[in-house]
Amino acid sequence: MALLTFDHVGIHLGGKEILSPTSFEVQQGEFVCVIGPSGCGKTTLLRAAAGFVKPSGGQVLRQGQVVTQPNREVAFVFQDYTRALLPWRTVEGNVMLALEAANMPIGQRAQRVQEVLSVVHLAEHAQKFPLQLSGGMQQRLQIARCLAQSPQILMMDEPFGALDAMTREGLQDELARLVREQGLTVLFVTHDLEEAIYLGDRIIALRSNPTAQQPSLAGTIDVSIEKPRNHLKVKEHPEFLRLRRELYFYLGHV
Amino acid sequence: MKSFPPYLSIFEPLFMLFALLLMWWLASHGEWVNRVFLPTPEATWQALVIGFQGGQRNDAAELGLATQLTCVRMILGWGLASLIGIALGVMIGMSEIARAWIAPTLEFLRPLPASAVLPLAISIFGLSAGMVLFVVAFGAMWPVLLATVQGLANVEPRLREVAANLQMTRWSYVKKIGLPSTLPDIISGMRLSMTISLILAVVGEMIASQAGLGQAILLAARSFRASELFAGIVLLGLIGFVSNALLASAELRLLRWQKN
Amino acid sequence: MFDMLKYLRPWVFPLVLFVAFDTYVRYVAIYSDALATPAQAVLAWWDLLWLTSDEGLMRVTLFTLLTAAMGLSIGVSLGLLCGLVLGLSPRIARMSFLSIEVLRPIPSVALIPLSMMIFGFGMRMEMSVVAFATFWPVLILTQAAVHQVEPRLLEVSKALGLNAWQRMKWIILPAMVSRLFVALRLAVSVALVVAVTVEIAANPEGMGYAMMIAQQSLDPARMIAWLLWIGVVGFAINAGALRLQKKINQRMGVNEIQAGSTA
Repeated sequence: MALLTFDHVGIHLGGKEILSPTSFEVQQGEFVCVIGPSGCGKTTLLRAAAGFVKPSGGQVLRQGQVVTQPNREVAFVFQDYTRALLPWRTVEGNVMLALEAANMPIGQRAQRVQEVLSVVHLAEHAQKFPLQLSGGMQQRLQIARCLAQSPQILMMDEPFGALDAMTREGLQDELARLVREQGLTVLFVTHDLEEAIYLGDRIIALRSNPTAQQPSLAGTIDVSIEKPRNHLKVKEHPEFLRLRRELYFYLGHV
Repeated sequence: MKSFPPYLSIFEPLFMLFALLLMWWLASHGEWVNRVFLPTPEATWQALVIGFQGGQRNDAAELGLATQLTCVRMILGWGLASLIGIALGVMIGMSEIARAWIAPTLEFLRPLPASAVLPLAISIFGLSAGMVLFVVAFGAMWPVLLATVQGLANVEPRLREVAANLQMTRWSYVKKIGLPSTLPDIISGMRLSMTISLILAVVGEMIASQAGLGQAILLAARSFRASELFAGIVLLGLIGFVSNALLASAELRLLRWQKN
Repeated sequence: MFDMLKYLRPWVFPLVLFVAFDTYVRYVAIYSDALATPAQAVLAWWDLLWLTSDEGLMRVTLFTLLTAAMGLSIGVSLGLLCGLVLGLSPRIARMSFLSIEVLRPIPSVALIPLSMMIFGFGMRMEMSVVAFATFWPVLILTQAAVHQVEPRLLEVSKALGLNAWQRMKWIILPAMVSRLFVALRLAVSVALVVAVTVEIAANPEGMGYAMMIAQQSLDPARMIAWLLWIGVVGFAINAGALRLQKKINQRMGVNEIQAGSTA
């Protein structure tokens, strides 16, 4: 059974159809990227899968069960990381929040926090407060908290969009590494084509302003570039260029 | 204005203070204002000293005692006000329904002078220390209550989503996210509450003839004892200053995570 | 139909309180001479409205409002002036800082006996306490408002070669208007509260005093009538000030959030 199933999910906002009924699946262990221009509904799609909103049409199923409300097993990484962190708690405290909420036995908590912070390379900053960290570090902290939830699936909403290019590249590699190490399933929303190809096993391309002839789902592409990937090599890889061309076409840029 | 040489600039902040003190000294000694209304600085100081150490008269160390009583009233009332204000604030703030129906009434009560409940309180409780305490607590409760309600309504929406994602219980949310997030507003409210507590304590003492600085300065004024009156005013200013400074430093300590 | 319901909603809770209070007084505290039902209070208010003596509603209310207004104008004008000076001259601000921190914490009510001693009873006494109470917040807020003028605008004034007077008139003062109005609103509310407090504590005139007298003459209906009326007057004035602020903000092209105006 697929881990996540989007069954004819449609979204209406303010009387307009933002997303026409779209269906696709996410299998266990996959890294699926959803790309599309602004306004195509990709963020709302993600939030519907996480249970924050109800789709106007269709439903999202997680392991066969309809998703109706947020759940610890579906960890959500927000784009505006600063606002998703507790500024009055330390780095350690922020991660601890996830463990407290899950009622993990107190004795086991410290170790788990250490583990998770090491994975994102924030262990030495454990006693700092979020506002003392750089943007990239804050986002890593948010990811750390999400990892502490021991989630089935990681939902990421343009997580690196607010960061500068260099930080972004570094975090992309870190993310790829920890996903590989922890065997995570990821649904990753971005408007950056190259990021999607770099990170994803599969890419779902969405269009904005769907019509009957051109529904939201423009196409699905498998990324067959082998992992682990590296920025220099991938961006010169012919497959990368081919995929980019194909995606441009799907998204109607050409 | 020509600039002071650098070594004198440390004294700049004291400059005006000294100038004022000087004017006070000149005005009182030169009788620019009737001596009855404006005592000399020394007389005021003398009154303070006698007030705390006791003098030849029977009413020894009166001011000291009065200060204590007023302080206790103020702090007790403020403490009660803060506790009740936060508790009620949480109850109202956490319930969307309660907020929707009750908030407009709270907005109406906001500009009401806290001292206006005095006659009603006198009606119910009579002229007693308990009545004054009630008025202090009741009047000082509002800033904290309103700050708590508003703060809980304005918690960062992202954090609410994080709480939902983590499936936190309602109580857990209040304890770990709602209240800490509202803390800056609550502390602000508590500082305002302290100011109101002092005012209500003093007014209450004046009206209900309860021992304290309020009564002391009223009696001093009635018998035209200017130096004691001024001594009392100085003490009240001191209480206001110290209590505010303490709260301000507590605020800094509690909120050190805010900015680097 | 549903629109109308929205307007009724704020009234539901007060209505519930009124009914509860009414029931309590009518059935539990029947022999009390300390409490009256809200209905009786409303009737008492109505009586006061038509009273032509010195105790009439309008006359008494006018006294409080007039006195508060006069004290307010003194406190505000002095506060504005000093605030401007302190804001524009960092040196004078540094020199005055201590003095302000020493004098500001004195609760305005502490000056009631002093004022009483100097002026006796009446308008002057109440006015001076109100002036003292409103002076400080206006001073502090005006000083802050000067500092909060967008630095870019000051750079523009330099680039345009404006002299000090022009800079004040065309750039600084207009930029401050919105925040000054916030200070004014606060001062208005303080003025009213302090005026009523002075009347309760000492001055034998005005709404506060009328309320105290009603209590002392064991006329709870009248006392509660005054209490409610004071609340209504306070609310109306504050609401009016808020409306005015919104208009001014619009006129000055100010983003409400920037101006820091809190409803």
